[in-house]
Amino acid sequence: MNISGILVVVPPARIEDATRELNALPGVEVHHTEPSTGRIVVVQEAETVEQEIAALSRIKALSGVMLAEMVYHVFDETPPEWDATPAEMAAS
Amino acid sequence: MELSRRNFLKSGVAAATAMAVGVPISRIASVAAAETEQDWRWDKGVCRFCGVGCGIMIATQDGKIVATKGDPDAPVNRGLNCVKGYFNGKILYGKDRLTQPLMRMTDGRFDKKGKFTPVTWDQAFDEMAIQFKKAYEEKGPTGIGVIGSGQWLIQEGYAMTKLMKAGFRSNNIDPNARNCMASAVAAFMQVFGIDEPPGNYDDIEYTDTVVAWGANMAEAHPVLWQRVIDRRLGHSDMKIVNITTLRNMTSEGSDLEIIIKPNTDTALLNYLAREIIQRDAVNQAFVDAHCVFCAGPTDIGYGMRATDKFAFEAEKDIQAREVEVTLTRDEAIGLGLDPEQVHTIKQANAATADRHWLVGFEDFKAGVAPYTLDFVAELAKGDAEESLDAFKAKLMRLADLYADPKRKLVSFWTMGFNQHVRGTWVNEQIYSVHLLLGKIAEPGNSPFSLTGQPSACGTAREVGTFSHRLPADMVVNIAKHRDITEQTWKLPPKTLNPKVGSHITKIMRDLEDGSMSWVWVQVNNPFQHVANANHWLKAARENDNFIVVSDAYPSISAKVADLILPVAMIFEKWGGYGNAERRTQLWREQVPPPGEARSDLWQILEFSKRITLAEVWKEQAIPGLKDEGFEEGKLPDVMAAAQEMGYQPEMTLYEALFETPENKAFAWPDPVSKGHDNHTVKHLGVDWFVEKALFEEYAGFGRGHHHDLAPFDVYYQDDVRGLRWPVVDGKETPWRFNAKYDPYVKNGEIEFYGGAMKELTTGNLTGPTTEEKTKFPGKAKIFFRPYAAPVESPDGNYDLWLCTGRLLEHWHTGTMTRRVPELHRAMPAAVLDMNEKDAEERGLKRQDAVWIESRRGKIKAVIETTGRNRPPRGYSFMAFFDESVFVNKLCIDATCPISKEEDFKKTAIKIYKV
Ligand code: SF4
Repeated sequence: MNISGILVVVPPARIEDATRELNALPGVEVHHTEPSTGRIVVVQEAETVEQEIAALSRIKALSGVMLAEMVYHVFDETPPEWDATPAEMAAS
Repeated sequence: MELSRRNFLKSGVAAATAMAVGVPISRIASVAAAETEQDWRWDKGVCRFCGVGCGIMIATQDGKIVATKGDPDAPVNRGLNCVKGYFNGKILYGKDRLTQPLMRMTDGRFDKKGKFTPVTWDQAFDEMAIQFKKAYEEKGPTGIGVIGSGQWLIQEGYAMTKLMKAGFRSNNIDPNARNCMASAVAAFMQVFGIDEPPGNYDDIEYTDTVVAWGANMAEAHPVLWQRVIDRRLGHSDMKIVNITTLRNMTSEGSDLEIIIKPNTDTALLNYLAREIIQRDAVNQAFVDAHCVFCAGPTDIGYGMRATDKFAFEAEKDIQAREVEVTLTRDEAIGLGLDPEQVHTIKQANAATADRHWLVGFEDFKAGVAPYTLDFVAELAKGDAEESLDAFKAKLMRLADLYADPKRKLVSFWTMGFNQHVRGTWVNEQIYSVHLLLGKIAEPGNSPFSLTGQPSACGTAREVGTFSHRLPADMVVNIAKHRDITEQTWKLPPKTLNPKVGSHITKIMRDLEDGSMSWVWVQVNNPFQHVANANHWLKAARENDNFIVVSDAYPSISAKVADLILPVAMIFEKWGGYGNAERRTQLWREQVPPPGEARSDLWQILEFSKRITLAEVWKEQAIPGLKDEGFEEGKLPDVMAAAQEMGYQPEMTLYEALFETPENKAFAWPDPVSKGHDNHTVKHLGVDWFVEKALFEEYAGFGRGHHHDLAPFDVYYQDDVRGLRWPVVDGKETPWRFNAKYDPYVKNGEIEFYGGAMKELTTGNLTGPTTEEKTKFPGKAKIFFRPYAAPVESPDGNYDLWLCTGRLLEHWHTGTMTRRVPELHRAMPAAVLDMNEKDAEERGLKRQDAVWIESRRGKIKAVIETTGRNRPPRGYSFMAFFDESVFVNKLCIDATCPISKEEDFKKTAIKIYKV
């Protein structure tokens, strides 16, 4: 499980609409907003990195989004996995 | 995970994110943030993934990275990260991480044709030393080589440079930064006499204009791009221009997009220079006080071999251009020659391409005179579907922006300029434009070369891990620089080899022709990233040589190696990087490396224990060495002089070069560690702080010589987020060459004090006319450089341009970012971006699998006509991250003849359906 904190910036006039649209995205929750500057802090939860990156692209694609970048990542319960000799090496 | 805990964690992440970027939150929320983080150990670090050098904070628990965040106190990124920053924590934990040495063996012995078999470190180093001695005895210092990296930590690059240059007396050490930065470096040296930018990232917040030249910043330098976009939001007069060969993400945020043909940037810059003169916009006082004018030879070739002995049959027509070339009509016009006549030129200055001399302003003016709007617009217009008039209007608009004396302007560039058969020229030309206007070395006015790799500046350039360099901008072929280095390193005189070694492409060529037979690769994937790869793969696997690759993952280079050494990665070791704005940043070891993996530094030092002084400091044959003070073709035996200095023949290079009394004085443990481990020290079994000792030894080269670094411990202070050198009296230098900010300026308000190449003969555009040399200390050079056509252009057979580059989600060759499997699926196979009409014309449509063929090889890929890169007619683009679609098999290994950096941007290809 990956949890990331993302900063989204929209024009202040759009902050309410954007909050609604963000909350409608799967795995995305709006936690904090600053109406005067149009800044929104969202938390994104995803099973995989792929989902997380796709989600970030979706956020960027919302209308009026001027900035959406990751700030914080928590790698929850991802145990290190190391193989001594990768299969592709052993086969060579 | 149970729901309540996850909700709690999410509230904590939200609160911590808000705090990092300064969004106000309630006290309850900030308590949640603190509670989430309470069991974690936080420390500062720097992002491993590009030259922007964002600060990150790393949280660890039980020897594992559990969280990372953009560092709110980092001036570079102010809490933000891009998607790549996200991998800093992930990258250590890929499934196929290498954790023990692997050697090709059959029946328990090394065998080049054998299978990779796990071995102990001792077995690995023993075989490595046997093979080293075999190559070294037979071929001398030129028979061995090291391919290093702009991702090397400062200390790693320094240790390897010392081992190679002082120990093995070989200059065959070159970083992959050669293929990323070398043109920028060469131009800095030629123009300013000192490397690295006058300005810094803060220029963005002071400027009115950003012009990106051959730099897809939105993808390659996202956090900086964000700062550019932010500046526009807060500054209504801000204008952004994207000069590119294809529509890309950077175009989205730009006010003006100018699509040009490959290599015509040189003509466009001459148009700007001409226009500045015509409009009387030259800042005459600035130019008179601070600049001289220069020209150089134009018959300089393309950095290829002058023989076609090793060329594939299909390559031979292009290869021949290294010897002789017929100028194109546009080249003739650009040189002021009669375009109706045939001009056949012998490449007489191929080996002396960097030669240059002083000329007058009138010569410069005559040089740029042919670059009229009409000529340049016809030549440079890159989109066939755009009208000539519309394109001309754009060029005039660009000239308006540059020439406006009230407008501050930053030019950014990266690989479009650097990876260019005239890469040094085009870098010089952008300085010419800024210098003519006096728009340099002050807040908001800045020609700024961006870097790709995280320590291309800090390690490759500042440490000097190139085949011609020594630390602090010194070079091997100047006797005084060798003397200084020999004294600092306490070497007997004439230990250092004065002959410039093999650059990265030449190391590959040396492997192919057999002049080199032992190579060690670190932090780098050269068998994937060097152009014309089919040659080098075959040379590595089929010639009698020994290739060692230190790597964290099974990259293509690891797979072609004979011995793989597993390495500790970024936060598994102590180290430092230097970013593109001269900011040096150091970090602590955060977590232990897995299994038997060890730092590159440990590997260098351990290997140095296996070679004695007697083996290297004896007389050595160096074919072609002709330097003054040396017997032709020879380095002298320095052992007798060494013995007088207290060295013994049986001493190891480790004892002589690294475990010196001075270095041993830095004790480990050290209070700066704050409880963090040091696996390098532990596995060396020593009680001295290796990384600190080497950093301080290295810093000694630059202190007092324009390159001052702060003391090691300062970088670890809680309130320091890297410092921009020179750091003098505890203060960093934001803008160099400007007396207001730079303590090294001693004369006047502006002084280009770099000392290299500041004494020249004088002549006109065709050559020097005097023998006598003139000195011009404190001045920068305005070069005239003509338009030059690419070495290879589409023709009836290979009828499409191919440009290569990188995309946001993948970084360089993708060895690391590809390890995160989900991410790899997001970009499943390399696609060839091309224009829809070009596809139609060939009976193809998007998603078709095609063969892409050049003179050098062919590969399969899928075509895309609606991607985020939209090439104009006749042009295509492919990313070079993917191991399964090996684009460098197609690319030509032509280089800028001055910088020796390859041109990955211009190969002629044809495509057809699979
Ligand atoms: S911009 Fe570069 S340094 Fe910053 S987070 Fe992205 S990859 Fe890392």
